[in-house]
Amino acid sequence: MISKEICERVLAKAMSTGADHAELFAEHTDRHSVSMVDRRVESINDTVVSGAAVRVCKGLRSVMATTVDKTEAGLLRCAEKAAEALGQGNAPVDIVLTERSFGDIHPVKIIPSSVGNARKVELLKEGYFAAAEHHEWIRQVTGSLADVDRRILVANSQGLYTQDRQVRTRMAISAVAENGGDSQTGSCSPGRKAGLEMFEEVNPRDIGLHAAKQAVTMAGAGYCPAGVMPVAIENGFGGVIFHEACGHSLEAAFVAYGRSQFTGKLGQQIANPKVTAIDDGTIPNAWGSVNIDDEGHPAQRNVLIENGILKSYMIDRFNGLRMGLPSTGNARRQSYSYTPTSRMTNTYIAPGTDKNEDIIGSIAYGLYAKEMGGGSVNPVTGEFNFSVSEGYIIRNGVICEPVRGASLVGKGSQVLHDIDMVGTDLDMGQGVCGASSGSVPTNVGQPLIRVSSITVGGR
Amino acid sequence: MDYSTFKEAVIAFCKEQGITEYELYYQTEESTAVKVFAHEVNQFTGSVEGGICFRCIVDGKMGYASTEELSLSQAHSVVLRAVDNARCLETVDAVFLGEGGQQYETLNRQLYELPTTEELVQAALQTQQKLYDADPAVIDGTTTQSLCERKEIAICNSKGLDLYYVNHIAGIVVSAMVQRGEEKASEAEVALGALPTLDTDALTAKAVAGAKKKLGGEPAPTGVYPVVFSPEAMSLMLGAFAGIFSASAAQKGLSKLADAEGTAIASEVVTIIDDPFHPENPSPIPFDAEGSPTHRKAVEEQGVLNTLFHNLKTAHKAGVVTTGNAAKAGFNGAVGVCPFTMYIAPGAVTEDALLRQAENGVYIDFVTGLHAGANGVTGDFSLQSTGYLIENGKKTTRVRSFTVAGNFYDLLKNITAVSDCMILPSPVGKTTFGSPCVLVNNLSIAGK
Repeated sequence: MISKEICERVLAKAMSTGADHAELFAEHTDRHSVSMVDRRVESINDTVVSGAAVRVCKGLRSVMATTVDKTEAGLLRCAEKAAEALGQGNAPVDIVLTERSFGDIHPVKIIPSSVGNARKVELLKEGYFAAAEHHEWIRQVTGSLADVDRRILVANSQGLYTQDRQVRTRMAISAVAENGGDSQTGSCSPGRKAGLEMFEEVNPRDIGLHAAKQAVTMAGAGYCPAGVMPVAIENGFGGVIFHEACGHSLEAAFVAYGRSQFTGKLGQQIANPKVTAIDDGTIPNAWGSVNIDDEGHPAQRNVLIENGILKSYMIDRFNGLRMGLPSTGNARRQSYSYTPTSRMTNTYIAPGTDKNEDIIGSIAYGLYAKEMGGGSVNPVTGEFNFSVSEGYIIRNGVICEPVRGASLVGKGSQVLHDIDMVGTDLDMGQGVCGASSGSVPTNVGQPLIRVSSITVGGR
Repeated sequence: MDYSTFKEAVIAFCKEQGITEYELYYQTEESTAVKVFAHEVNQFTGSVEGGICFRCIVDGKMGYASTEELSLSQAHSVVLRAVDNARCLETVDAVFLGEGGQQYETLNRQLYELPTTEELVQAALQTQQKLYDADPAVIDGTTTQSLCERKEIAICNSKGLDLYYVNHIAGIVVSAMVQRGEEKASEAEVALGALPTLDTDALTAKAVAGAKKKLGGEPAPTGVYPVVFSPEAMSLMLGAFAGIFSASAAQKGLSKLADAEGTAIASEVVTIIDDPFHPENPSPIPFDAEGSPTHRKAVEEQGVLNTLFHNLKTAHKAGVVTTGNAAKAGFNGAVGVCPFTMYIAPGAVTEDALLRQAENGVYIDFVTGLHAGANGVTGDFSLQSTGYLIENGKKTTRVRSFTVAGNFYDLLKNITAVSDCMILPSPVGKTTFGSPCVLVNNLSIAGK
């Protein structure tokens, strides 16, 4: 992408006003998506993201400049701009880079950017029409097949020069079902850090059917009652509870600045002893995985909470300096134009020992949250919310009628103690997480869990 | 290569390929931001980003391709990719390139000078000091950011359209963090405009008061109550459900307002305006993403829907003229629709009178989780909230960690009063949403 020699000259320029660390991040990304609505291919979008960022740090200060001009002259101007914003002077610095490869633990078989539109349309239609033709109540379906081919280069003043190629594919189907003038929605959107071979593992028809069945179930459902009750949250995307209730608050972006409910709590019991939680960027071909993070640090498996005790935060290099802790391979950015910071990769509650039937059977009256929507959190207070896209009432240990429109709200530090049963079947769900460094793909996951008491927003 | 060279290369290549209907949309943003933490500048960002979006009509279909890389190879590649993409489309709706309008709003507003880096640094440092000085409860964790941006947009197409817009934005973002005992809370506030004109005393006081207000409180009791939404909370609600006013969504069956023009969709105390030139819109662009002139419109007047938001394609399908609301999510997005400055017009009663009218209920000053807890298709919402109990017509106990649930289509019809004081909080994406206080009958509260 950019030669080692050019990177050396750019980094030398970046260091010239007294920085103690400089980094060049360059990117060339092809993004492609096919969308359908009204049973037809409605749009195909196709864009090239191309640019670079030079970041220089001195002590706890960081300066970043970005450019869309990746010629040597453009990169040198960008480096100069960053260096000038950091300080004065023109000290000669000698940078020697060594190319490093951290291997590829996420092999891709079918590179989407090498496949024409026709095949992608064919795959999307399999999913789309499975939803559209599932039930007479289905009134509208929207669908998309998106792929990203991201090539990055990271070089820094410590001598690192490395590159990575990150290919991701995702299909999303949403269905609207109408029952007597009342409409409800359902959706399904699996993705992988892989090419089109992901559809050998995930059948597009199942994606469409999943979305349509959920919409039909909810169109026949009444409103969820409001109140405080026990809730059983299913595996897969149910893991969004940990992502919101705890995950964000363990990111160095908040912890380093005292803006987290868990600042200064390493080694303390912050969760029920049943809870062990992990962030693992090394799971082969998982949606949130990377070979290297966006600071060039290899991905890691980090145990965040072990038997309820806080073991680790998720840390990027820059915020780690403020915390006196090393990077955990969690630096991420949507693109070169965002300053990288600590973000989650694949974050999940590890399997426990409770049987699913015991978890459901233990609830006399409560909610079974089969499918979750997204959520959000205020990391300072730990107050979080997320929506239930498919819920059922549990009565006397039995899952009964479906209910719609529920949301769950609570406080992270409390809900972590209230997770008092953890099942055995771990599964992951795919999301796109938004924060200061943009939108990045993340997996959430867990087995079926029980929260002994939580506020259910309904009517 | 620069944009004008790139543009010439694209036009020449279109000619060579026999493509006669095409458009180039160019957008670039040059921004600087300074972040201050613990009285020191800890982050400085100077960024240049943007690119071009090429689209063309092939066999009656509109194909798109975009790039941030302005090179000769990309000048050819975007054309070939857009043609290939167009050929795979199956839509039957007629598509159009804009021919522009007779008249564009001339903007009297002069572009203010953008601050220098030093001015940004000083503004961020001084504002942060004001936060600390405002109250002894303010602690480290408090951050201040000053920023500025120059944005340029140009559209040119084979119909002869050739438009250019440039805008400057500067501002200060503060996040005050306060502590009482073990409990911490924070509140962010934004002020946009030329830095010397900004009232940073008011900004910092508001952020600190907002953060302190968040300390303490208990869940509201579960039940069904009259609810008063503060201007900030109602602006967030309007923003979350603005999509129901999109003609594009309505024509796809994704909004219940399809064919509702001329019918009552809200209580008669509710009027909703979209005004691109409202003085508080920081980016008053005179043309939309298709080059049509933008203008003020009453979307809904005294409860009756006048119009949905249209672009050329949705307007043609509906047999009306565009409302000048064509919009793109980024320079590379497909043309959709979006309001500019959308607000519920102020009513005649004071906020106190509104509270008296509610008598006993809940006052909500903040809702969150809108991206997941508000369903634009069905109108259902269930949202984490904070606020006060209303007892005997007055705000009393602080309440938090509860939810408010209902349906936005019903909510519009159940608004019984609108206060006389409207505010427009900071923009959400391309749009600034605003509202006065509104009183809604009977919403479900889940708390304790």
